[in-house]
Amino acid sequence: MAMVEASSPAQGARAVERPDVLELVRRLDWLLFGAVLGLVGFGLWAIAGITRHDVADDPDHFVVRQAIFAAAGAVGFAAALFVDPALYRRFRKPIYVGTIGLMVLVIATAGVTRGSRRWIDVGFFQLQPSEFGKLLFLFAIGGFLADRSRRIGEWGTVWRAVALGLAPTGLVFVQPDLGTALVYGAVLAAVLFVSGVRWLHLAVLGALAVLAAAALLWALPAAGVEVLKPYQTARIAAFTDREGDPAGATYNVNQSITAVGAGGLRGRGVDGSTQTRFDYLPEHATDFVFASLAEQRGFVGAGGLLLLYLLLLWRGIRIVSLARDPFSAAVAGGIVFWFLFQIFVNVGMTMGIAPITGIPLPFISVGGSSMVTSLLAMGVLQAIHLRAAGRRG
Amino acid sequence: MARRRGSARLPSRRFLPNDPRVAEPYRLTPQLAFRIAILGAVVLAAFAVLFLRLWALQILSGPQYLNAAQNNQLRVVRLQPPRGPIVDRNGVPLVENAAGHSVQLWPADLPKEGRYQLLKRLSTLLNVELKWLVEEIEARNGDPLTPIVVKRSIHRDQVNFLSERKSEFPGVTIARTYLRAYPRKSLAAHLLGHVGEATDVQLEANPSLRLGDEVGQAGIEARYDDFLRGTPGIAQLRVDSLGRPRSSLLLTQQPQPGQQVRLTIDARLQQAAQQALRFGIETAIENEAWYANGGALVAMDPRTGEILAMASEPSFQPSVFVGRTDPEKLLPFTDDEVAAARNFPALNRATQGLYPPGSVWKPVAALAGMEEKVLTPYELIQCTAKYVFKGEDGVDYEFGNWDRTVNEAMDLKIALAKSCDTYFYELAMRFHDLPPERGSPHQAWAKKFGFGAKTGIDVSPEEAGLLPTPQWRRETFTKARYPKTWELERLWKPGDSIQLAIGQKDLLVTPIQMARFYSLIANGGKLVTPHVFRSAEVPGPAGTQPQVVHANVPPPAVDSGVDPAHLEHVRQGLLQATHYPHGTSAGVFDSFPIAIAGKTGTAEKWSTKVGDHLDQSWWCGFGPYDSPELVVCALIENGGHGSVAAAPAARKVFETYFGIEGGQVDLTETD
Repeated sequence: MAMVEASSPAQGARAVERPDVLELVRRLDWLLFGAVLGLVGFGLWAIAGITRHDVADDPDHFVVRQAIFAAAGAVGFAAALFVDPALYRRFRKPIYVGTIGLMVLVIATAGVTRGSRRWIDVGFFQLQPSEFGKLLFLFAIGGFLADRSRRIGEWGTVWRAVALGLAPTGLVFVQPDLGTALVYGAVLAAVLFVSGVRWLHLAVLGALAVLAAAALLWALPAAGVEVLKPYQTARIAAFTDREGDPAGATYNVNQSITAVGAGGLRGRGVDGSTQTRFDYLPEHATDFVFASLAEQRGFVGAGGLLLLYLLLLWRGIRIVSLARDPFSAAVAGGIVFWFLFQIFVNVGMTMGIAPITGIPLPFISVGGSSMVTSLLAMGVLQAIHLRAAGRRG
Repeated sequence: MARRRGSARLPSRRFLPNDPRVAEPYRLTPQLAFRIAILGAVVLAAFAVLFLRLWALQILSGPQYLNAAQNNQLRVVRLQPPRGPIVDRNGVPLVENAAGHSVQLWPADLPKEGRYQLLKRLSTLLNVELKWLVEEIEARNGDPLTPIVVKRSIHRDQVNFLSERKSEFPGVTIARTYLRAYPRKSLAAHLLGHVGEATDVQLEANPSLRLGDEVGQAGIEARYDDFLRGTPGIAQLRVDSLGRPRSSLLLTQQPQPGQQVRLTIDARLQQAAQQALRFGIETAIENEAWYANGGALVAMDPRTGEILAMASEPSFQPSVFVGRTDPEKLLPFTDDEVAAARNFPALNRATQGLYPPGSVWKPVAALAGMEEKVLTPYELIQCTAKYVFKGEDGVDYEFGNWDRTVNEAMDLKIALAKSCDTYFYELAMRFHDLPPERGSPHQAWAKKFGFGAKTGIDVSPEEAGLLPTPQWRRETFTKARYPKTWELERLWKPGDSIQLAIGQKDLLVTPIQMARFYSLIANGGKLVTPHVFRSAEVPGPAGTQPQVVHANVPPPAVDSGVDPAHLEHVRQGLLQATHYPHGTSAGVFDSFPIAIAGKTGTAEKWSTKVGDHLDQSWWCGFGPYDSPELVVCALIENGGHGSVAAAPAARKVFETYFGIEGGQVDLTETD
């Protein structure tokens, strides 16, 4: 395979070519496209209601911004369609180095926002490299494993992939951004899984992950080494004991659960959603957006959103199975699991069944980086579908 | 292999050039299919969990959470009702309400960060102790929704400052509040008492009270708090998570203003009594009773026990307890040393002051003597300069008369009028010589006249005084307590009987007890219960009189069992005391156009401060003589002779009561 790769630079350079637009349109996964369109539209509608009372003089402040981000994301989505995923694989090394460099840059330069360094200020909005990093990271790990697909059963391959994956994960973790670091870890696991790493190796890695978690949460603090920030530990403790400290660590989750439950079947509407409107629910446009949505739109709205997600994931899984090569499959699998992980943890935390972490809800949470990255990922998924083996027309 | 795969079935070729890697052999192996299936199963499982949870929260428990969300924003606010006013018997306001602002702190709304800085700033701004504030917040840990009243009655400037900086002081609100106001300044200060935040004990005793509620802490305010306090209103206020109100108050229960409490006090007479007391003290000092510095005066209706005036000197301004209390100004109430230096202004001497009665006691002895048939009113007893009796030890004991020149035979009336000591020494020895089975009849009658026990007046606190008996001596002077002197002290000796008859030695009474006894003389032998509460009232319809919702029914007067004929002798004796040429207070009252009867007293009391016996100046009496309406009992502490301090003070009160201006007063030093 390395031989093949070495012999084809000239052809690879033509990977981006004048596309046949009609063909492209015909081969798009329209159900997936519809799900994404539906999610973006639903998200804008939801944010319009959720942030109605957040900026006193400008009820549309956030929804306008979010629409601009969605437009930017749409451009990225369209652009991604024309890029053969093979190109990502070919440039996986510069991509990897670039990702690492960006994250180091964040830590080195970015201003401290709410206690963590995640953003680079680029004027109109604050760039959050760790969001885009998810995709780049996926390309790098997927590319590495695809290159070694014949030696996928070897320990050496697995170790190297994990080592490659842990570097950016660690950089995100020290920002500190525990939630995104967990997403990276989940993406790494998904890529390993889809790439065909042996069950035994997966089991060993799983056991090591459990040990590492135990060390972070219990052994190291007991030994006097605090790896997690106190608020992170408190949130995890709050997850296990919801009754303790109602004004402190469990305040958010209790208010969130109250908001979700108060929504009932049909929701309380924009003006009646007191949990959101009167700021009982913190971060209700970002981390806890699902709770606000559930409060305003009820089971009908929140359940509808989950169905849209389910549609998206189903189409994603289908694309994994259709992918024309192991790299595409690994990338598609990584994207699917990445979205599943974010959706589950974010929605789960608003309902008290997952610990609180700052993970955005794709397409819904206010935030440019997340919106653009999510749409880019969908573009990549569609690009993979476009180039699928076409076993099923 | 790539070639083989590159068939026409791959439309992608038209779309993209054929890359070698694109043509890489790749099949959906069963292994990968299995893994994709697992991925699908994970997705389904995850969504099943999310849907179930969403269903459980929104559909199954939706109503509970809706309720919780609604309670989140509805803060229940207690609206303090205005406290009822206190008025005198004619409706003259003695205590009213004034509007003020108070600063409240909602612990739940304090920011988590910068909390200390905020409290520190607040404490500096309002001049309250930071330590106290922190302790209050900690004390309210379990109840974050009850505000702490940081300060009542803040200045206008502070109100403006805080209102303009609301965002800098999250959790701090300004509430309107009612403050007690005293339009008549120190008038009846000892009676009225004051209000303050409910103490732990009061909260425990009354479950309807909440932390921060104001309740009466002393005097009328405390005693009739149930009438005065009213019922707080309950309102709901929609607030956001920072406690900022987002709606106006939604009343769910109207506050019920406190009821008006009407006293038996006559503000005009009270004013006169307080002035009279000060006049009495000044008069005493002018007459060389240098240590005169306090006193008490009670004016009461002998027929009912209604107190018309009750004064105590030194006094204070009740307003020192209101709102922004100044610890400095409260020192006389909180610090023993300062209290002593100011001669205990908090002490209501009318009910708490314990004094030997001296000669104002003589009617007690006289009535007891007649009732016990050891004395007849017309019997003549030689009044001499001194009284001598031979003790069992063979020693002559000598007791002097206040008048060192007298030597004449007196009946009871003259003896009372001239306050002959030796007459009563003789009476005392007759009591003393009674067989033991007769008990202690002198004290027994005194007890029937209300001495040695609290009168039951509705102004607290009250002292019971001390009515010494042989039994009391035995029980008090025990070997354990008095290892050196007990053997002698425990015995009731003739001297005890002799001194008791002129109201000296161990005997202690309060001015209110004395006023009650003189009421008994005035009203024909009935023991009334002194009281100051007349009724609790609510405002009537506009332009009408207040409606009485609770009229005070004092305990019925108790017949003491004293023979009216005996009482008549004493009454005549007291009339002679104020009119007979040598009556002890004739100089003060003989010129008074309305017949007043009364008795002076000059009681020796040991003063540790001066290191000598000082005379306590008493006068008790009533008028008009034929149908008494008013009993006045005045006491000037260390005021010297009864006739030169207490009697003129008492006269001032009668003057106001009967509307009589001035008149000639001759101050002669008598007993």
